Amino acid sequence: MEIKSSFGPIDIAISGLQAQNKSIAVISSNVANARTSNAGKGEPYRRLEAKFKTDKGQIGGVSLDKITEDMSDFSPVLDPGSPDADKQGYVRMPNVDIATELINLDIATRTYQANAAVLKRYQQMMETSLELLR
Amino acid sequence: MSKTNNIIGLLEAGIRAEGLRQRAIANNVANIGTPGYRSLDVKFEKLLAKALQSQQGLEGDEVEAEIYQANETPLKPNGNDVSLETEVGKMIKNSLKHKAYIRLLGNKYRQLNDAMDIK
Repeated sequence: MEIKSSFGPIDIAISGLQAQNKSIAVISSNVANARTSNAGKGEPYRRLEAKFKTDKGQIGGVSLDKITEDMSDFSPVLDPGSPDADKQGYVRMPNVDIATELINLDIATRTYQANAAVLKRYQQMMETSLELLR
Repeated sequence: MSKTNNIIGLLEAGIRAEGLRQRAIANNVANIGTPGYRSLDVKFEKLLAKALQSQQGLEGDEVEAEIYQANETPLKPNGNDVSLETEVGKMIKNSLKHKAYIRLLGNKYRQLNDAMDIK
Protein backbone atom coordinates (compact mmCIF):
# COMPACT_ATOMS: atom_id res chain seq x y z
CA MET A 1 0.00 0.00 0.00
CA GLU A 2 1.47 3.28 -1.11
CA ILE A 3 0.63 5.95 1.40
CA LYS A 4 3.32 8.50 0.75
CA SER A 5 2.64 8.98 -2.98
CA SER A 6 0.83 12.32 -2.72
CA PHE A 7 3.71 13.67 -0.64
CA GLY A 8 6.28 13.00 -3.37
CA PRO A 9 6.61 16.64 -4.45
CA ILE A 10 7.22 17.66 -0.84
CA ASP A 11 10.13 15.21 -0.55
CA ILE A 12 11.55 16.36 -3.89
CA ALA A 13 11.38 20.05 -2.93
CA ILE A 14 13.02 19.26 0.42
CA SER A 15 15.83 17.37 -1.33
CA GLY A 16 16.35 20.46 -3.49
CA LEU A 17 16.54 22.66 -0.40
CA GLN A 18 19.07 20.31 1.19
CA ALA A 19 21.19 20.14 -1.97
CA GLN A 20 21.38 23.93 -2.23
CA ASN A 21 22.17 24.10 1.47
CA LYS A 22 25.22 21.87 0.81
CA SER A 23 26.11 23.98 -2.21
CA ILE A 24 26.07 27.13 -0.09
CA ALA A 25 28.23 25.39 2.55
CA VAL A 26 30.82 24.58 -0.14
CA ILE A 27 30.75 28.17 -1.45
CA SER A 28 31.24 29.58 2.04
CA SER A 29 34.21 27.24 2.53
CA ASN A 30 35.71 28.58 -0.71
CA VAL A 31 35.16 32.21 0.27
CA ALA A 32 36.47 31.66 3.81
CA ASN A 33 39.61 30.04 2.43
CA ALA A 34 40.12 32.43 -0.48
CA ARG A 35 43.43 33.59 1.04
CA THR A 36 44.58 30.36 2.71
CA SER A 37 48.05 29.91 1.24
CA ASN A 38 48.75 26.78 3.26
CA ALA A 39 45.95 24.25 3.65
CA GLY A 40 48.14 21.78 5.55
CA LYS A 41 49.32 19.59 2.66
CA GLY A 42 52.09 21.97 1.57
CA GLU A 43 49.61 23.36 -0.91
CA PRO A 44 47.23 26.28 -0.90
CA TYR A 45 43.51 25.66 -0.39
CA ARG A 46 42.00 24.07 -3.47
CA ARG A 47 38.60 25.33 -4.59
CA LEU A 48 35.77 22.84 -3.99
CA GLU A 49 32.70 22.26 -6.08
CA ALA A 50 29.52 20.36 -5.16
CA LYS A 51 28.25 17.91 -7.78
CA PHE A 52 24.65 16.71 -7.63
CA LYS A 53 22.88 13.66 -8.97
CA THR A 54 19.25 12.65 -9.48
CA ASP A 55 17.79 10.29 -6.92
CA LYS A 56 16.27 6.96 -7.93
CA GLY A 57 14.54 6.78 -11.30
CA GLN A 58 13.15 9.57 -13.41
CA ILE A 59 11.08 11.49 -10.93
CA GLY A 60 13.24 11.68 -7.89
CA GLY A 61 14.79 14.34 -5.79
CA VAL A 62 18.34 15.54 -5.99
CA SER A 63 21.19 14.53 -3.73
CA LEU A 64 24.82 15.41 -3.30
CA ASP A 65 26.90 13.12 -5.52
CA LYS A 66 30.37 14.25 -4.49
CA ILE A 67 32.43 17.29 -3.63
CA THR A 68 35.18 17.60 -6.22
CA GLU A 69 38.35 19.66 -6.14
CA ASP A 70 38.96 22.28 -8.81
CA MET A 71 42.28 21.26 -10.41
CA SER A 72 42.98 24.60 -12.12
CA ASP A 73 46.28 26.38 -11.41
CA PHE A 74 46.99 28.35 -8.26
CA SER A 75 47.65 32.04 -8.73
CA PRO A 76 51.15 33.23 -7.74
CA VAL A 77 51.33 36.41 -5.66
CA LEU A 78 54.59 38.26 -4.93
CA ASP A 79 55.11 38.27 -1.15
CA PRO A 80 58.79 37.60 -0.30
CA GLY A 81 58.22 38.00 3.43
CA SER A 82 55.80 35.12 3.69
CA PRO A 83 57.05 31.80 5.12
CA ASP A 84 55.25 30.06 2.23
CA ALA A 85 57.17 32.06 -0.44
CA ASP A 86 59.36 30.19 -2.95
CA LYS A 87 62.90 31.24 -3.97
CA GLN A 88 61.61 33.94 -6.29
CA GLY A 89 59.45 35.35 -3.49
CA TYR A 90 56.14 34.15 -4.90
CA VAL A 91 53.40 32.65 -2.75
CA ARG A 92 50.87 30.36 -4.40
CA MET A 93 47.38 31.52 -3.55
CA PRO A 94 44.14 29.41 -3.77
CA ASN A 95 42.41 29.07 -7.14
CA VAL A 96 39.33 30.74 -5.68
CA ASP A 97 37.81 33.65 -7.57
CA ILE A 98 35.55 35.65 -5.26
CA ALA A 99 33.44 36.99 -8.14
CA THR A 100 32.72 33.46 -9.38
CA GLU A 101 31.85 32.35 -5.86
CA LEU A 102 29.44 35.23 -5.39
CA ILE A 103 27.69 34.47 -8.68
CA ASN A 104 27.44 30.81 -7.65
CA LEU A 105 26.10 31.91 -4.27
CA ASP A 106 23.42 33.92 -6.04
CA ILE A 107 22.48 30.92 -8.18
CA ALA A 108 22.35 28.64 -5.13
CA THR A 109 20.22 31.14 -3.21
CA ARG A 110 17.79 31.53 -6.11
CA THR A 111 17.54 27.77 -6.52
CA TYR A 112 16.86 27.42 -2.81
CA GLN A 113 14.11 30.03 -3.11
CA ALA A 114 12.67 28.22 -6.14
CA ASN A 115 12.48 24.96 -4.22
CA ALA A 116 10.87 26.75 -1.29
CA ALA A 117 8.33 28.27 -3.71
CA VAL A 118 7.49 24.82 -5.12
CA LEU A 119 7.08 23.49 -1.59
CA LYS A 120 4.77 26.34 -0.60
CA ARG A 121 2.71 26.09 -3.77
CA TYR A 122 2.28 22.34 -3.41
CA GLN A 123 1.21 22.84 0.18
CA GLN A 124 -1.44 25.31 -1.02
CA MET A 125 -2.61 22.78 -3.63
CA MET A 126 -3.03 20.12 -0.96
CA GLU A 127 -4.92 22.61 1.22
CA THR A 128 -7.24 23.23 -1.74
CA SER A 129 -7.86 19.50 -2.03
CA LEU A 130 -8.55 19.33 1.68
CA GLU A 131 -11.17 22.06 1.29
CA LEU A 132 -13.19 19.48 -0.64
CA LEU A 133 -13.35 17.40 2.54
CA ARG A 134 -15.24 20.09 4.43
CA MET B 1 -16.65 -3.29 17.77
CA SER B 2 -18.98 -1.93 15.11
CA LYS B 3 -17.69 -0.47 11.87
CA THR B 4 -18.75 3.07 12.80
CA ASN B 5 -16.73 3.13 15.98
CA ASN B 6 -13.91 1.52 14.09
CA ILE B 7 -13.54 4.46 11.68
CA ILE B 8 -13.69 6.97 14.52
CA GLY B 9 -11.11 4.92 16.41
CA LEU B 10 -8.77 4.82 13.42
CA LEU B 11 -9.10 8.55 12.84
CA GLU B 12 -8.46 9.16 16.52
CA ALA B 13 -5.34 7.01 16.36
CA GLY B 14 -4.23 9.02 13.31
CA ILE B 15 -4.81 12.37 15.00
CA ARG B 16 -2.95 11.16 18.08
CA ALA B 17 -0.06 9.99 15.87
CA GLU B 18 0.16 13.40 14.16
CA GLY B 19 0.12 15.11 17.54
CA LEU B 20 2.96 12.90 18.72
CA ARG B 21 4.91 13.51 15.51
CA GLN B 22 4.47 17.26 15.92
CA ARG B 23 6.05 16.94 19.36
CA ALA B 24 8.92 14.89 17.95
CA ILE B 25 9.54 17.54 15.27
CA ALA B 26 9.44 20.34 17.87
CA ASN B 27 11.94 18.39 19.95
CA ASN B 28 14.22 17.89 16.95
CA VAL B 29 14.17 21.56 16.00
CA ALA B 30 14.77 22.59 19.61
CA ASN B 31 17.84 20.33 19.68
CA ILE B 32 19.21 21.43 16.31
CA GLY B 33 22.39 22.67 17.99
CA THR B 34 22.74 20.02 20.70
CA PRO B 35 25.93 17.98 20.17
CA GLY B 36 25.31 14.25 19.84
CA TYR B 37 21.52 14.56 19.49
CA ARG B 38 19.90 12.05 17.11
CA SER B 39 16.57 13.04 15.60
CA LEU B 40 13.34 11.32 16.60
CA ASP B 41 10.53 10.21 14.34
CA VAL B 42 7.13 8.58 14.73
CA LYS B 43 6.18 5.24 13.23
CA PHE B 44 2.47 5.11 12.39
CA GLU B 45 1.72 4.61 8.68
CA LYS B 46 3.57 1.29 8.54
CA LEU B 47 1.73 -0.01 11.61
CA LEU B 48 -1.57 1.17 10.13
CA ALA B 49 -0.85 -0.55 6.80
CA LYS B 50 0.03 -3.73 8.66
CA ALA B 51 -3.20 -3.52 10.68
CA LEU B 52 -5.24 -2.91 7.51
CA GLN B 53 -3.63 -5.87 5.75
CA SER B 54 -4.15 -8.32 8.60
CA GLN B 55 -7.94 -8.23 7.90
CA GLN B 56 -8.86 -9.74 11.24
CA GLY B 57 -10.80 -7.56 13.64
CA LEU B 58 -9.10 -4.32 12.78
CA GLU B 59 -9.54 -1.93 15.68
CA GLY B 60 -8.34 1.62 15.78
CA ASP B 61 -7.29 1.42 19.40
CA GLU B 62 -4.74 -1.21 18.52
CA VAL B 63 -2.90 0.97 16.04
CA GLU B 64 -0.74 3.04 18.33
CA ALA B 65 1.98 5.39 17.07
CA GLU B 66 5.50 4.69 18.27
CA ILE B 67 8.36 7.11 18.72
CA TYR B 68 11.73 5.88 17.50
CA GLN B 69 15.25 6.99 16.65
CA ALA B 70 16.03 6.42 12.97
CA ASN B 71 19.86 6.56 13.26
CA GLU B 72 20.06 6.61 9.46
CA THR B 73 20.53 10.26 8.62
CA PRO B 74 24.10 11.47 8.08
CA LEU B 75 25.74 12.99 11.11
CA LYS B 76 27.07 16.52 11.27
CA PRO B 77 30.59 16.91 12.75
CA ASN B 78 29.17 17.48 16.25
CA GLY B 79 27.30 14.16 16.21
CA ASN B 80 23.93 15.83 15.62
CA ASP B 81 21.81 14.71 12.68
CA VAL B 82 18.92 17.21 12.63
CA SER B 83 18.30 18.83 9.24
CA LEU B 84 16.03 21.86 9.36
CA GLU B 85 14.80 21.21 5.81
CA THR B 86 13.79 17.64 6.63
CA GLU B 87 11.93 18.81 9.72
CA VAL B 88 10.08 21.49 7.73
CA GLY B 89 9.05 18.84 5.20
CA LYS B 90 7.85 16.51 7.92
CA MET B 91 5.92 19.36 9.52
CA ILE B 92 4.10 20.23 6.28
CA LYS B 93 3.14 16.60 5.66
CA ASN B 94 2.13 16.26 9.29
CA SER B 95 -0.16 19.27 9.29
CA LEU B 96 -1.78 18.23 6.00
CA LYS B 97 -2.49 14.76 7.34
CA HIS B 98 -3.76 16.21 10.59
CA LYS B 99 -6.14 18.46 8.69
CA ALA B 100 -7.37 15.54 6.57
CA TYR B 101 -8.04 13.37 9.62
CA ILE B 102 -9.82 16.20 11.48
CA ARG B 103 -12.07 16.88 8.49
CA LEU B 104 -12.83 13.20 7.98
CA LEU B 105 -13.72 12.94 11.66
CA GLY B 106 -15.96 16.01 11.35
CA ASN B 107 -17.68 14.43 8.36
CA LYS B 108 -18.17 11.21 10.29
CA TYR B 109 -19.83 13.04 13.18
CA ARG B 110 -22.01 15.00 10.74
CA GLN B 111 -23.05 11.71 9.21
CA LEU B 112 -23.99 10.37 12.65
CA ASN B 113 -25.92 13.55 13.39
CA ASP B 114 -27.78 13.20 10.08
CA ALA B 115 -28.61 9.62 10.92
CA MET B 116 -30.00 10.68 14.28
CA ASP B 117 -31.68 13.69 12.64
CA ILE B 118 -30.50 16.13 15.24
CA LYS B 119 -31.56 19.59 14.31
